[in-house]
Amino acid sequence: MRVDGSLAMLDRWGRWVLPGTVLLFFVLLTLAPLRAPYLSDALPLLPMLVVFQFSLTTPERLPGPLLLAMGVLLDLLLGGPGAPVGVSALGFVLIRAAVANNRRYLVGVPFLFQWFGFCLLALGFVLLVWIFTSLWTWTAIDPLPALVQYVVVIVIYPLIGPLLARVRARDPLNVPELSRGTARPGETTP
Amino acid sequence: MAIRDDFEVAAGQVRAAVQRFALGLLVLAAFGAMLIGKADSVLVENARVLALDLASPVLEAIARPVAAANRAIADLKEFASLRQENARLREENARLLAWQTAARRLENENEGLRGLANFREGPEASFITARIVGDSVSAYVRGALLNVGRRVGVAHGQAVVTGEGLAGRIAEVGDNSARVLFVTDVNSRLPVLIERTRERAILAGDNSPQLRLTLLQSVAGVQRGDRIITSGHGGSFPVGIPVGEVVETGEGGVRVKPFADFSRLEFVRVVDYGVTSLVSGGSGASATPAPAGAPAPGQRIR
Repeated sequence: MRVDGSLAMLDRWGRWVLPGTVLLFFVLLTLAPLRAPYLSDALPLLPMLVVFQFSLTTPERLPGPLLLAMGVLLDLLLGGPGAPVGVSALGFVLIRAAVANNRRYLVGVPFLFQWFGFCLLALGFVLLVWIFTSLWTWTAIDPLPALVQYVVVIVIYPLIGPLLARVRARDPLNVPELSRGTARPGETTP
Repeated sequence: MAIRDDFEVAAGQVRAAVQRFALGLLVLAAFGAMLIGKADSVLVENARVLALDLASPVLEAIARPVAAANRAIADLKEFASLRQENARLREENARLLAWQTAARRLENENEGLRGLANFREGPEASFITARIVGDSVSAYVRGALLNVGRRVGVAHGQAVVTGEGLAGRIAEVGDNSARVLFVTDVNSRLPVLIERTRERAILAGDNSPQLRLTLLQSVAGVQRGDRIITSGHGGSFPVGIPVGEVVETGEGGVRVKPFADFSRLEFVRVVDYGVTSLVSGGSGASATPAPAGAPAPGQRIR
């Protein structure tokens, strides 16, 4: 441990801030003027994907207050007069909680199961945002664009999800951590 | 010693309680943020502007390479159809030259007639050119972020135009950034004229690519292909900026296709018309030019 003190510290620091930085990057990317059809529609849901994936692998590095702040930032940046600020934050926090409570169905299972879990949670997220936005602005918002968003983000999940999951695979040493996803069938989480 | 132990026990209990209710607290905080946003819209507006100003340099750094890549792809696509495009442009050029002669003649004639009638023109418009550094397009909002702000004279409510026609209006202004709300946004309501019949109407967006014409006197007077222009009512927009073209008239209402192509916007112009504070709503303190402009038309003509 003493041998490479500063490097190890840098390494640890990097690991700790990585999920938050990736999330911030995707929040900002939401506004990038990509002109790819469909893809640019789905950008606003990518932060949600990041939250899901990191809640699976390293939830302790994505603490609730950080999610709250990022969600509020996303809502502020996405804008829209009268749109509720904080609904994304609510969605992020709920996704993290849902993942934490269902780790044994989502961690250490075939990828298809993870994908299915993501589909369910993403649907919940999209519905939540749609319902709150509709109620808040008191207009019947056309749900079709939201559905398109949902379908696109589900389709690109297999492309981005595994990439983000590599963050966990490269953990240093095999130090057992509370949230390493070692839950076995039948085991309940504390 | 005992006191310290007690303290540690108490602290541990508090920590356990916070951990147990962490989810509830976070959810409450999120609801709190939403309620604050509902109750104090000025605060949220300021927070939005601050976030925009902070994010704008980062976005600009992202936007340039992205724009270059987009342009390269567009170039490749156009390369394939260069020959036809050239022929089409030559034909169009010939037609436009004919129009130019007609426009020159009309302009001269107009100027002469205005001189005779002692007509007072509206304020002169000036333009601020801006780069689009961010899309704020989602399922719920249609807009974009610009890299210009209050510092160069952009103000709330100003019109934003492209080469083809009206794109939208400025909804939020920071020091070095601004947010455009496109005419297609669900919150956009625009007073317009039907160019052929000079009939007034309101053009409303609904987040779809096409616009809806509402509050018409009579639907029967509208035909397919009619051009829609801004009417200038409300004061902040110049009169006669082309907005779109009627593509559908029927029971479903009159649908208008905007001239501006929102999928490939890169640069836009913000129209500074000098009277924006008339419609900026909340900021009643800066209603400077309103009294000067108001009585003019009726009295001058008499």
